[in-house]
Amino acid sequence: MNEIKILEAVMPFLLEGLWMTFKISLITILCGSVLGFVVGILRMVGGWAISTTLGLYIHALRGTPFLVHLYIIYFVLPTTGISWLQLEAFPAAVIALSLYTSTYVAEIVRAAIEAVPRGQSEAARSTGMTYLQSMWYIVLPQALKLMIPPMGGIYVIIIKGTSIVSVIGIAELVRAGEHATQRHPKELMLIYGMTALLYFAYCYPVLRLARWAETKFGSVRLPS
Amino acid sequence: MDWIVEVYNYRVVAQFIPEFTRGIAATIWISLLSLIMALIIGTFVAIMRLSANPVLWRIAAGYVQAIRSTPLLIQIYVIYFSIPALPLLDRRLDELEGGIIALGLNAGAYMSEIIRAGIESVSRGQVEGAQSVGMTYMQRMRYVVLPQAFANVVPPLLGQTSVLIKDSSLVSFIGVFELFGAGLVVLSDRLMPNEAFMTVAFCYLVIYWVMLMFSNFAQRRLGGARR
Repeated sequence: MNEIKILEAVMPFLLEGLWMTFKISLITILCGSVLGFVVGILRMVGGWAISTTLGLYIHALRGTPFLVHLYIIYFVLPTTGISWLQLEAFPAAVIALSLYTSTYVAEIVRAAIEAVPRGQSEAARSTGMTYLQSMWYIVLPQALKLMIPPMGGIYVIIIKGTSIVSVIGIAELVRAGEHATQRHPKELMLIYGMTALLYFAYCYPVLRLARWAETKFGSVRLPS
Repeated sequence: MDWIVEVYNYRVVAQFIPEFTRGIAATIWISLLSLIMALIIGTFVAIMRLSANPVLWRIAAGYVQAIRSTPLLIQIYVIYFSIPALPLLDRRLDELEGGIIALGLNAGAYMSEIIRAGIESVSRGQVEGAQSVGMTYMQRMRYVVLPQAFANVVPPLLGQTSVLIKDSSLVSFIGVFELFGAGLVVLSDRLMPNEAFMTVAFCYLVIYWVMLMFSNFAQRRLGGARR
C-alpha cells in the first residue's frame, strides 16, 4: 500500500510535468510544421542553389543527434555575443525541437508531392497553368491529404523528443520524474514506470489516430 | 587566422584528441553491440508478429507499441535503474550494460517493423515452393524467407542504424562515456562549448556520411524494395 501513497504524493508533480510536455510539443508541432512545410516546398520549387542549401540543412540536422542541436543552441549560440541569440531554456528547447521537426516535415512534404501522379501536373501545365499555378492549385491540395497520416508519427517523435530537453532544466515530465525519485529514492522503478505510462497515454492515442488517418487518406512511405 | 581561434580554438581541440578518439570508438562499439542485439530481437519479434498464434503476435505488437510510445530516455532510466531490482541478477548492471540493453531493446522494436515488411515482401510462391520440397517451418524461414527478406530491407535497416548511432548519445545521461560525453568533458574542463559541441557535431556528421555511403552502396548492389 506504500506504493499507492507514494504515487498519490508524486502524481501532482508528474501531471504538472506532463502539462509542460504537452505545451512544448504543441508549440513545436506548429512551428516545426510551418518551417518544415516552407523548407520542403522551397526545396521542390526553388532553383539549384536553394535546394542544395536546404538539402545540406536537412542532412546536417539529420546527421547529428538532437542532444547536440540542443547544446549548440543553448550553449554555443550565446558565445557569439549577439544579444538575441542569448536564449532562455524554454525558447532554446522550442527552437531546437522545431528545427529538428522541420527536417522530418520537409521530407514528408517532398514525398507527398512526389506521390501525386505526374499526369496531374502535366495536365495542369497543358491547360496553360504556370509551374507555380499547377503546384498551388493541383498538386499541393492532393499532396496535403497524403501528409496528414505521417504527421501523427512526427507528433510522437516530438513528444518523445521533449524528454531530452529536461537536460537544460525544462520542468517537463522526465524532469518531474527525476525530482520525484530524489524525494523517494527507493521507488525509482515505480516512478519511472509511472512516467513511462504517462508518455504512453499521450503517444498511443496519437499513433492510433495516425493509423486511422492512414486508412482514410492513404499515406506516403518515408525514406527512413 | 586569429579570428578562427576566437570562434573555434582548434589548438584546444587538438589537446583533447585522445578523448574524442575514445569517444568515437565507444560510440561505435556501443552502437555495434546494440545493433547486433536489435537485429536478433527484431527478427524474432517480426516472426512473432506474423505468427497466427494470437498470444505470440499480441506480445510482439504490445512490445513494439510500448517502445514506440515512450521516449528512449525513459526506457534507459527504467532499464538502468530497474533491472538490478530483478531477483535473477545478483549484482547491479553497470552503465554500459544498461545503456546497451536499452538501446538494443529500443532499436529492436523499430527494426522488427522493418524486418516484418521485408518478410512480407517475399513472394508467396517462395514459401509454397519451400513447402512443396518438404521443408519445415524453421527451414523455410532460415533458408528461404529470411535471406530474401534481409536483402530487401538492408537500406532501411542502415537508416535505422544511423538513428541508433545518434540515439546512443543519450546513454551519456547515465554516465556512459561516448562521443557526446567527450564533448561534455571539454565543456567541463575548459568551459568552451564551441570547441566541445561543434567538434562532436562534426564527428557525428562524419559517421552519418559514412552510413549514407554504405546505404547508397547497398541500394545499388541489392536493388531491393525500398520501404
